[in-house]
Amino acid sequence: MRYLPSSPVEDRALLDTIGVARAEDLLSGIPEGLRLNRGLDLPTQGSEQEVAWQMLDLANKNTRFCAQFLGAGAYDHFVPAAIDAMVSRQEWFTAYTPYQPEISQGTLQHIFEYQTLICDLTGLDVTNASLYDGGTACVETALMAVRVQKKRHTVLVSRGLHPLYRDVLQTAFAPHQDLHLVEVGLKDGVTDLADLQAKLNEDVAAVMVGYPNFLGAVEDLTALAGPVHAAGALLVSVTQEALAFGWLEAPGKVGADMACGEAMSFGNRPTFGGPYLGFLAVKDTHKREIPGRVVGQTKDLDGKTGYVLTLTAREQHIRRDKATSNICSNQGLVTLRANIFLQLAGPEGLKGLAAQNVAKAQHLRQRLLDLPDMEPVFDAPFFNEFVLRYKGDLAALQEACLAESLLPGLDLGRFYPEYQGCILWCATELHTRRMIESLVEILARVPATV
Amino acid sequence: MFLRQREPLSFERSVPGKRGMDLPKLDVPAAKDTRPAHLKRQGFDALPELSEVEVIRHFTRLSKWNYGVDDGIYPLGSCTMKHNPRLNEKVAGLPGFTDSHPMAPDALVQGNLELLYTLQEWLKEITGLPGVTLQPSAGAAGELTGVMLIRAYHVAQGAKRRVILIPDSGHGTNPATAAMAGYDVVELPSRPDGTISFEDVTDPVNGKVRKGLKTLVGELGPEIAGAMITNPNTVGVFEYRFKEISDLLHSVGALVYMDGANMNALVGVARPGDFGVDVMHLNLHKTFSTPHGGGGPGAGPVCVGEKLLPFLPVPAVVRDTVKVGEGEVPKHTYRWDWNRPQSIGKVHTFFGNFGILVRALTYCLSHGSDGLREATLRAIVNANYIRARLKGAYALHIDSPSLHEVVFSDTLQAKHDVHTLDIAKRLIDHGYHPPTIYFPLIVPGALMIEPTESEDKGELDAFCDTMLAIAKEVEENPEPLHHAPTLAPMRRMDETTAARKPVLRWTKA
Repeated sequence: MRYLPSSPVEDRALLDTIGVARAEDLLSGIPEGLRLNRGLDLPTQGSEQEVAWQMLDLANKNTRFCAQFLGAGAYDHFVPAAIDAMVSRQEWFTAYTPYQPEISQGTLQHIFEYQTLICDLTGLDVTNASLYDGGTACVETALMAVRVQKKRHTVLVSRGLHPLYRDVLQTAFAPHQDLHLVEVGLKDGVTDLADLQAKLNEDVAAVMVGYPNFLGAVEDLTALAGPVHAAGALLVSVTQEALAFGWLEAPGKVGADMACGEAMSFGNRPTFGGPYLGFLAVKDTHKREIPGRVVGQTKDLDGKTGYVLTLTAREQHIRRDKATSNICSNQGLVTLRANIFLQLAGPEGLKGLAAQNVAKAQHLRQRLLDLPDMEPVFDAPFFNEFVLRYKGDLAALQEACLAESLLPGLDLGRFYPEYQGCILWCATELHTRRMIESLVEILARVPATV
Repeated sequence: MFLRQREPLSFERSVPGKRGMDLPKLDVPAAKDTRPAHLKRQGFDALPELSEVEVIRHFTRLSKWNYGVDDGIYPLGSCTMKHNPRLNEKVAGLPGFTDSHPMAPDALVQGNLELLYTLQEWLKEITGLPGVTLQPSAGAAGELTGVMLIRAYHVAQGAKRRVILIPDSGHGTNPATAAMAGYDVVELPSRPDGTISFEDVTDPVNGKVRKGLKTLVGELGPEIAGAMITNPNTVGVFEYRFKEISDLLHSVGALVYMDGANMNALVGVARPGDFGVDVMHLNLHKTFSTPHGGGGPGAGPVCVGEKLLPFLPVPAVVRDTVKVGEGEVPKHTYRWDWNRPQSIGKVHTFFGNFGILVRALTYCLSHGSDGLREATLRAIVNANYIRARLKGAYALHIDSPSLHEVVFSDTLQAKHDVHTLDIAKRLIDHGYHPPTIYFPLIVPGALMIEPTESEDKGELDAFCDTMLAIAKEVEENPEPLHHAPTLAPMRRMDETTAARKPVLRWTKA
């Protein structure tokens, strides 16, 4: 086994020092009846070459596309070469959680910088070292909201939130019979203000809305914040496409009390849904209730500035069942990718990239609307995703696209029966004018309306 | 090594006008500004302006202040810091995997689905349990999924149970998880050998009686939803009465959760499914060598017995066999099954940390059934070698046979006013990452050492020699240990001020 440092001579010396004849003798603590008295019924070891080919074979069984017009929470963006090069340094990827600050300053300073950038993007005061993904970030945010809003037990969730985020929320709330998730409907693609107002009451701890929402539409946080705050609730913005922060004002500056979501767009690839990057940012007043790892600045004995894991009195290894969460890790390397991405981009790069996404999406929408079978569904401003109704045969459209190695947008009917026949399209900086024209040409040839 | 004493925050280096990323020429009309005026992004307070060179140097310099597995032994107990094979990284970066979209139709991601199915089959055989979900992103997420499965099972039985039993040696995530899933936690006391006590235990200091497993099961019976037990436990000792514990809990309708953090001691040697475990999680970033990444991403698959199969998260990956002619090799297709009415639902937005799962399967295929067992035995040998070499110089608070890790106490050193923290920091001066310290809580001044199978005899000897030299230093000249480390990039940090007056981000002066 190439990863094991075994050799007959050394193995013998190890066993002799321990004082046993065979390694198996060290299993004496496991009652014989509980041991496995056969080999595992699995293939035997594979050489590096064999395994490499086997895995390549699996990778090749996935269909590759010339272009993917699908976003829906997993965005394809260009990844600068510097990112892969940096994260492949063993000092980053093989290190553990930075428990020993004296020899973990690299990771700690990186997380401090990452925290600074998430606060900058969201316009809020405090964030943590990251959470697993957008869906679980929603869970931690909702649980935190009912924790800080004592005696309030309801979280209102806009139907514009990613449907899978809402599913994850449902799962996490199911064990808590005293807590309630209530859905707020949509009108013209955004949260229905009248429905929201009807559902706001003294039990509502927080209201969660997409920014932009799952349908790509930009919610007016300022307009929502009025009634939400008047009812004593917190406004939570949920962003599944964090690149939008290069185009939209920071949620914390336009009424949001908490901002959470998914930041995989910064330097990561779709990778079949993970690992991604959940984030949560809050106001200073709530900092001691935030879940997860947090890095803070301090000094060492010589007065030199450095960084440590801090506010640990909230955490499971100290508070056990009274902790703010059970989480004891972060998305380490994914945060590193995001940090490097954002530092390469800088303010102008981020704004420029976001503006390109808007331009591509607007152009795609315009060209699709030139087709006779496509029609608009609502007119809310959008970032890089938008919804169109297709009057033709959706299955035929998909088939035609796939035949030309293009992955079309999401069939919205799968998650929203009311949008049956509608497609959620996405365009990013990766979509050239030529790709968009190919898509339009292919769609123009799809058999006429059924 | 540490060429520079200080690397400023990147924000402090920012110079207006610099760019580290350029954009392709825009080949479509410029965007129309459709934003409401008040939602237009105004600007940024921190995002730095730097060239690519500066960014790469910044992160390269920072990296040099980290200790990694390739630097040497990383003996963090319960963390299983083993070698991270480069093949696994290369494979996980194949565009066929990284470009695949989680919302793509099943027919277009057959490779991914086959990979997940195959990994599940490996984990089933390794644990002896018939069901797996790969969705949880980390060990703690796996724990939460597992306890929610226990809850769903009891709810389906029409039973309301409110208690989860957890040994006092358990990891802090166990009680935190039970609380997150809406349960009350009742602690199980340990025996002097570190295993769970069936009998009541009287505290020698305050005379307080702590109820043992038998008493608690007798008193709480139908209130108990389950127990969360780490096996081998956090002192590296196998719960040798595990089957009895399972039987006792099952007799009152409770289920058994096994925390699989220490599974590196059992793979190919013993299977939780064979000693009564109903549900457990695995840490792929420990046992299956996926890199720790400075804190993540990890993966915490959950394996379950028959009783819990209907409740597993959606979607489940399913294999269909395509009918073929006689004598032909059967063909398979794979799909997601979303229609599972008793499922607890989703626990991750998509299907879990897929990129990590790719690495774990690569690890499995490389090791094979024979290599997995060999790795387990070597991990146990390595830990016992350290135990044999350091015993005497450091106190073994618990002397039971231990498997993949060994826990010492600082009682011998404490006589000289040197404590675990001092020993840990002194190790840094010698170029080693310290072991896990002050855990488990049942061992005073714990030093929890887990070498893993990756360490060769030379590395183990060098580490042990250093530990012995430190023990000698404690007896001869203890004072310098209180000031350690002095050779690392930083000296001891003021963590109290960090927590009292938290500075959690950079702000413009």
